[in-house]
Amino acid sequence: MQFFGGSEISPSPPVPTASGNNGHMIYMFNRNGVCLLYREWNRPLRTLNAQQDHKLMFGLLFSLKSLTAKMDPTSAEKGNLGVPQLPGQGCSFHSFRTNTYKLSFMESPSGIKIILVTHPRTGDLRDSLKYIYNLYVEYVVKNPLYTPGSPIRCQLFNTTLDQYMRGIA
Amino acid sequence: MVREVAESCVDSLLTEMVASYCNRFYANKPELAARRIEAIGYQVGHQLSERYTMERPRFSDHLEAIKFICKDFWTELFKKQIDNLKTNHRGTFVLQDNKFPWLERISIDPLTDKVNSAEDATTAENKATSTISMHLYYPCGIIRGALSNLGITCAVTADISNLPACSFVVRVKA
Repeated sequence: MQFFGGSEISPSPPVPTASGNNGHMIYMFNRNGVCLLYREWNRPLRTLNAQQDHKLMFGLLFSLKSLTAKMDPTSAEKGNLGVPQLPGQGCSFHSFRTNTYKLSFMESPSGIKIILVTHPRTGDLRDSLKYIYNLYVEYVVKNPLYTPGSPIRCQLFNTTLDQYMRGIA
Repeated sequence: MVREVAESCVDSLLTEMVASYCNRFYANKPELAARRIEAIGYQVGHQLSERYTMERPRFSDHLEAIKFICKDFWTELFKKQIDNLKTNHRGTFVLQDNKFPWLERISIDPLTDKVNSAEDATTAENKATSTISMHLYYPCGIIRGALSNLGITCAVTADISNLPACSFVVRVKA
């Protein structure tokens, strides 16, 4: 079963509906909670230091995922806690919205979690998250100078990501 | 019957090959690791050129053979041709590829704000450059193997002064 379907090698990015820099921050975590990437483009207020911020974010998502899975009224089988699931199976939340921001989340079967914080009127960003995951595979995983499990320090990935974020709503 | 392999498999295999030779087999002897990687490339180039010249007549001179490497051989390997070929007509050829596929995804760390000293930055950069040049021994060996099978003894080195473009310098031994 193909993970992302489609016949192209990498899905083309979704068409942007508005121009401008709407992405606020992006976090990427691996399966063990190591923060692989944190980039911010527009964050006026910072309340915690970086370490606490990352831990808080990871813990929040871990709990939210297990909560949504346990409260699922349609399926009797609940997955094991903490184990990433294939995209069609199980039940996983994908975004929450407040009056000031929207947080979109995606977890790959390998446990890579991508979190994108944008302005509240953003539409469904699941395709964008898949495209970012593809960028991660192309420029980070296939980079011979990168050791898996360590924070991402790849020039190419950063520039392509910034360019992409400037183009989406 | 044509059998195919995914390109990412080949890319990952090459990355792992360079990494094992540099870090495990010959951890403290980079020159030996480089020579082994180049020797592997030599064998591969030798066999590949055998396959890709099956239906062709013999090459009339060195330039024709180099042009074969630039066009047909490179197309079979990377689905693109060499972008620029220069020669001094005295046995030296420079094959320039503006976007070499095996180097496309390598990128070095951006310099962080807290660089401890200028030396740290340069050592990190040197390490990245030496790893990148390790990756280029394999294609150098492929070119050398292919040319030697066509009857041309030569030495091939790579030049990475401006990534992602890289040049392969072929010096024919007269």
